Amino acid sequence: MRLQMKDIVMEFGPVRAVDHVDLTVEPGQIVGLLGENGAGKSTLMNVLAGVYAPVSGRILIDDKEVVMRDVRAANSQGIRFIHQELNLCKDLRVFENMFLGEELKTKLHLLDRNTMIARCREVFQRMKVDIDPTAVVETLSAAEKQLVEIGKALLFHSELIIMDEPSTALNTEEIENLFEIMRQLRSQGVSFIYISHKMPELFEICDVYYILVDGKLVASGNFADVNEDYVTELMIGHNLQSDEFNTHTCAATEEVLLQVKNVSGKLLKDISFELHRGEILAVTGLQGSGRDELADVLFGVEPHTGEILVEGAKMPNHSGSGTVGRYMKKGIGMVPRMRPERGIHNDLSVLDNLSMGYLNTRAKKLLISPKAENERFDRQQQAMSIKVGSRKNPITSLSGGNQQKVILGKWLETAPDVLLLDNPTQGIDVGTKFDIYHLILELAKQGKAILVFSAEFPEIWKVADSCMVLYQGRCNARLSRDELTEKNVMYYSTGANLEGLKS
Amino acid sequence: MKTTDKKPITLNKDTAKQVGRALTGEYSFVLSFLVLTVIGACINPNFFTWGNISNLFVQGCMIGLIAMGMTMVIGAGMIDISVGAQVALIGGFGIKILNATNNVWIMLLFCVAAGLGIGLINGLLVTKGGMPAMVATLATMSAARAIINYYGAGGPFTVSKENYDSFRQLAIGGIQIGSFKIPYLMLIFIAAVILFDIIMKRTALGKHIFAVGSNEKSARLSGINVDRVKTAAYMITGAMCGVAALIYASRMTAVAAASAANGWEMDAIAAVAIGGTSMNGGRGKIIGTFLGVLMFRIISNVLTVADISSYLNGAISAAIIVLAVLMQNFQNRRH
Repeated sequence: MRLQMKDIVMEFGPVRAVDHVDLTVEPGQIVGLLGENGAGKSTLMNVLAGVYAPVSGRILIDDKEVVMRDVRAANSQGIRFIHQELNLCKDLRVFENMFLGEELKTKLHLLDRNTMIARCREVFQRMKVDIDPTAVVETLSAAEKQLVEIGKALLFHSELIIMDEPSTALNTEEIENLFEIMRQLRSQGVSFIYISHKMPELFEICDVYYILVDGKLVASGNFADVNEDYVTELMIGHNLQSDEFNTHTCAATEEVLLQVKNVSGKLLKDISFELHRGEILAVTGLQGSGRDELADVLFGVEPHTGEILVEGAKMPNHSGSGTVGRYMKKGIGMVPRMRPERGIHNDLSVLDNLSMGYLNTRAKKLLISPKAENERFDRQQQAMSIKVGSRKNPITSLSGGNQQKVILGKWLETAPDVLLLDNPTQGIDVGTKFDIYHLILELAKQGKAILVFSAEFPEIWKVADSCMVLYQGRCNARLSRDELTEKNVMYYSTGANLEGLKS
Repeated sequence: MKTTDKKPITLNKDTAKQVGRALTGEYSFVLSFLVLTVIGACINPNFFTWGNISNLFVQGCMIGLIAMGMTMVIGAGMIDISVGAQVALIGGFGIKILNATNNVWIMLLFCVAAGLGIGLINGLLVTKGGMPAMVATLATMSAARAIINYYGAGGPFTVSKENYDSFRQLAIGGIQIGSFKIPYLMLIFIAAVILFDIIMKRTALGKHIFAVGSNEKSARLSGINVDRVKTAAYMITGAMCGVAALIYASRMTAVAAASAANGWEMDAIAAVAIGGTSMNGGRGKIIGTFLGVLMFRIISNVLTVADISSYLNGAISAAIIVLAVLMQNFQNRRH
């Protein structure tokens, strides 16, 4: 199958996620799609797989134009998409998940359990993994779930398989087996689009590269003709605009605000560090490294063992329904990741969303004063230039960037000493991202201690005084500003130092 | 949230457009109310008499009080179907206490405390027990009704002779101003509406209720004690059931265990739904529920005048809920 995507444009509200992109996949070719987080890779692939309808552009298969109305339409063209986030129904069994929506039936229209289980076994054997098709998905590890997702794509005859960071939870051997299957399928004419951040992998398995920066295609060609440095430079090319962040001044003082001593949790193992007034510490790590959990533990959302001290006061270890409030009263604030699910209240107005943290920690009076509420809003609106039609409109009427500013404002109004920023620039445009970086630096100068949880190196580099790299729940490295390079971060977050994996 | 801010109202195109949008969108319950009022006035020639209007309030008072609490419960994304059974249980035992003590204040204290207690049980089952609200309150409903049936097997709970006249004053009495008599129940209803409106709009609890109903995860990450907010909503509803039970006892001077306040949960939920509160929680207005209760009374008023059997009341509540929620869904799709 020969696939051509021509002049694809995709917009989310005011944000143009994909900007006039062309992409061609020849039969039996493995295409590496590169770009930073938010560069538009996943969006482009979702257009191809029929998840989003593009604003404009055409998709041609074997020179015939097709319209991907929905996922089913893409499937019927032989296109399979292995998503980055795992789309499995956790209460169902492995084989039920793999055949979901495409169940095999007997002549009596009952489910043909035995054949389905046998087909799953066959696929797992090819992948050289040992997963019981009848196991309930919830009982599987993250890596096994990912392998099930991959197996799902191999189960049916496919001509083009899209893999969105399939290797994040896999170990070296599992990745090698995956590559073996990919090579074998390639020789049968199956094509792949492979999305990854890991350079060595891309150079090993892919034939051609396409590089996206801010939704635009900036380069494409054969991997054989380029080297890692060249590709990296193209990928992070727009950092050249950010010279202003080159001269980083550290505002950290001697005063310790947050002490974390031997903290362990479900995933976390023995994390210890100190955070000073005015310091900006970045925490990074791959999916499943414990990065998300550390943020939640430090805010009392998840229970922990060990000690967390805020200005010398010990914080509770459990995570009951009032724990977050107690952490807040001690001066911790958190801008959560996944804003739509965890950050905003869809039904409430912009004003109410901004007030939400203040009301339960700092409000002293029984009745809310509308005047004070408006003053708080004005202050934050001015400080961050939030663009709002009316403050009484629902928060969903704002763009992602402005929503994020409102949430930041909400937390600044709780006057925290320690600010946890969990993926603070999620799903927002570049301009607003830079606003937020400046804000973070400014807040540190004002004497807040800031933790930035992020998977994006350019972001970390712009703000961090130092960086903690997590790997499998442990602190694998603490990089100072001088050691802070993309290569180092990648090296330690993949655990390369521990497993002897050569890059 | 109001689309019409406090500006001097001038009749230009924009204001008209804004009012139009509010009436078909967020404030559509006002439009429904106006339409029903016109229909009521057409069918009942005495509709706009003071007697009829004050009677709407008197009849709406009990469901109205419960619906205030129900707005909180539904606003927080839950439901309470135990309210009718709560009224029967509290009312029955309330009369026993009145007869024993001859003191209406002790009865009131008991009714409110019992309501808070049942609300606490509902709240704990939902929060600490992790039960779906529908299942938890179904259990309380069944248990409350069974208990009062057990104790009431020998006949209804009846207010004793010595308390009869004075106790009935609450339901039939009022304040005479000139030729108008303002019934006590009308005053209680209006006072409750004002109180609840202030709670929902101007206190942290009100804001937190909608925050929890809108997005529980975000609410928790904002430091809101979600369990406490949910339990508070149930307890306030319970307290309102207690007050409604006392009024019921006063109006009927007896509580029949098996039939008292039967199906009131439907009426209260219907009033909340027709008043524009989102059945998924997160959005709602006390003023909407207030008009919802009145609309309910107008419909029943019209049906009585039109001589339609009261056995059909349940079907009418059902039709109102379905219509109101369908309208909400339709509006949500449009926006």
